[in-house]
Amino acid sequence: MLLLQLLINGLQLGAIYALTAVGFSLIFGATKIFHVAHGAAFTIAAYLFWWSNAVLGLNWLLAAALAVVAAVAFGLFMERCVYRLIQRHEGAFFTVFIAAFGVQIIVQNLIGTVFGRGFVSVTTPLSHSVQVLPGLFVAPVAALAIVVAVIGFSALTNYLSRTHTGMAMRALSENPDLIRVFGLDPGRVAQYAFAIGSAIVVPGAIFTAMTAGLNPAVGAHVMLISLAATIVGGIGSLRGAAYGGLLLGLAENLALWRLDPQWSEAVTFVVLFLFIIFRPAGFFGRPHAAK
Amino acid sequence: MSQGGEVLLEASEVAKTFGGLKAVDDVSLSLKSGIITTLVGPNGAGKTTLFNLMTGHLPPDRGQVRWLGKSIVGLPHWKIARLGIGRSFQDLKLFANMTVAENIETVTERGAWLWQPGGRAAQKARRDKVEATLAATGLGDKRNARAVDLAYAERKFLSLARIMASGARLWLLDEPASGLDPGSYQSFLSLLRRQVREGVTICIIEHNLDIVQGISDRIAFLDQGRLLAEGDPKTILSDPALAAIYFGERAV
Amino acid sequence: MWAYIINLAVLISINAILAVTLNFILGYAGIFSIAHALFFGVGAYTATFFAMKFGAGFLSATAAGMALAALISLALALPALRVRGEYFVAASLGLQMLAVTVFTEWKSVTGGIGGLTNIPPARLFGFAVTQPEHFLLLSLACLGLIILVIRALVRSSFGRSLKAIRDDETAAWAYGKNVAVIKTTAVVVSSALAAVAGSLYAFYLSFINVESFVLDTSIQVMAMVIIGGTATLLGPVIGSVLILLLPAGLSYLPYLPVTEIGSIQQIIYGGAMVLLMIYRPGGLWGFQDTRSSRKGGAA
Repeated sequence: MLLLQLLINGLQLGAIYALTAVGFSLIFGATKIFHVAHGAAFTIAAYLFWWSNAVLGLNWLLAAALAVVAAVAFGLFMERCVYRLIQRHEGAFFTVFIAAFGVQIIVQNLIGTVFGRGFVSVTTPLSHSVQVLPGLFVAPVAALAIVVAVIGFSALTNYLSRTHTGMAMRALSENPDLIRVFGLDPGRVAQYAFAIGSAIVVPGAIFTAMTAGLNPAVGAHVMLISLAATIVGGIGSLRGAAYGGLLLGLAENLALWRLDPQWSEAVTFVVLFLFIIFRPAGFFGRPHAAK
Repeated sequence: MSQGGEVLLEASEVAKTFGGLKAVDDVSLSLKSGIITTLVGPNGAGKTTLFNLMTGHLPPDRGQVRWLGKSIVGLPHWKIARLGIGRSFQDLKLFANMTVAENIETVTERGAWLWQPGGRAAQKARRDKVEATLAATGLGDKRNARAVDLAYAERKFLSLARIMASGARLWLLDEPASGLDPGSYQSFLSLLRRQVREGVTICIIEHNLDIVQGISDRIAFLDQGRLLAEGDPKTILSDPALAAIYFGERAV
Repeated sequence: MWAYIINLAVLISINAILAVTLNFILGYAGIFSIAHALFFGVGAYTATFFAMKFGAGFLSATAAGMALAALISLALALPALRVRGEYFVAASLGLQMLAVTVFTEWKSVTGGIGGLTNIPPARLFGFAVTQPEHFLLLSLACLGLIILVIRALVRSSFGRSLKAIRDDETAAWAYGKNVAVIKTTAVVVSSALAAVAGSLYAFYLSFINVESFVLDTSIQVMAMVIIGGTATLLGPVIGSVLILLLPAGLSYLPYLPVTEIGSIQQIIYGGAMVLLMIYRPGGLWGFQDTRSSRKGGAA
């Protein structure tokens, strides 16, 4: 029964990870920018939700909307005011990476200064576990997380296969040179990618606020997961990133069957490392994309 | 225009597909020693991809690539380079932040050891090679300039200098002389011809028909990933069907 | 006052070692590692272990630390450097976070959260280095030696290969460079030398705990390298001076709450990193090409 419990928890966590990882993978695929500040978007959204809901007492829907606005604003800000400026100067991986890193540091510390460094969380009736079977506790939030993830992902897939901009993003992931073929303005596609990629972390951020709780360093953890999931799933594959996130969430929880909770990051690393050694292309990546 | 000696590099029915696009489609090409072969064709014909397949930069989806009779498919790019297959790039890929001398020097240095084997004698040989290359390409007085600070023509010559200093037996050059002024371009071509006389084999991707006419011993015509024709320059260049494809595509 | 300056100088020289060694792979080879703090920690814990369990002197304790750091970095680099750079970033991030857990949980060796205390002083040729002034000489000597080693490497054929790989990895492959092996060697050298800093740190403070070897530390070292100037020999040293003087400087400002100095310090160098990358990537990173390269059309 413990195993089943861990499985359910793993699915819940995996759903959150999947969404966040897909956001990162979308941005990287469409813009080739290694957006290490993605974790910062998550942190901002999570804290804004917590602050508006638990501290200011705003209705959760409003709080969620605020979180979305903040995340999107952050993503757009990074694209327009940081990355775009850098890309004028050749935009080597180095410069983009360091700048994103710098922003991540700033955000993490600002949040720590403004909101405090301790753990905070949002308690809602949804977080209360209900005994479904003997020994099996499921909180409504778990089911909700999975449902939201599935909806979010199918909405995204639709967008990517139906709309012009969406198709452009998908094409770019496959082959960046195609941007000229599509005759699209790379800047606009980048804006959309950052907006959507950042917005998509919000459900995960909210659920984390409701379940595990937050502290300013959550961004680093999220970043590791997003990176690991993207690699495990295969660079250039959104589906892969989602499955990667799911796998990591499951692995992290199933490991609890035998290990203590503080080893959860270790599990993530081990999974990542195994893939790097044995299958660098990931689940769905193309082998030469790994070189 | 000679027919060439032994077959150095042979690609047999190689193919490479990206997504749905057949970049190289069942191409068989032999590069014979001692001559200059030119690869021509419209933009997007797959010429650079063919080079990538021949140097091991990309693995072919199908087909064989042989160097001096032995298969090299699956070998990593660096090993293939050490066999004697050198390559220049359309976007040059100079080591931008290193000096001209360093660019050439590093190419002569083999091995991943912390220091080069061979002692004093080998060191002197390398130094002489660097000097000779600098002299041959006219970059002597720019030896301490950073590659990124060079003028356009100088960068083209540096790209050539690198491949020269590497001691490669087969040179795969990707549009090496494009954009050069007539003066530089003549010295570039005579440099190539001199190298061939000294035993180097060259395969050039080129768009400029004057160069193609002036320098080719053999021409291979690619279009949309397929090898349409291969033979001596007179025949290929006077073929009206090929001209139509070439110019038709160009007049956009 | 004098004691304060000596103390600061020792810490600066230790951090300078970390910065110089990180710069070797970051600035000269273009390899992004967020795991530097872990090698710092490995050096510290290993040296302490050998000193406390076997009475090892400074040299042998440090050598042990270097060996273990080299092995761990080899295990990290061999698979992760075969593939694209982003993988190494992810793997180094993961390993760094894993290491913190190991440092915290392996209580018998690392003392867990409480750390290890009463570390005996460094013993060099029979002489116990207890005076801070003497220790400063030791740490400066180590720093100097390491800088000389790095300098020799950078100027050698190996250094040229590294720079070639950094400038254009594809071309490096095309000219016969076994890029994966070269990068791996660089990472091993860098990590082993970083362990020296760890050993110095442990012997100096006589106390170490996991707090000094966390992700934030890796990031701080990276900031030193970036701000001081990559791919120069002295740049990282300057960076470490600047960053270590920052909290001291900040404490003179009357309006800042003391508890927030750490955060503010991080915000300052985070901001510096961003601004530098936008406005002066070619400035501090002395040689970076700020001209856009002209790419030809498709063939």
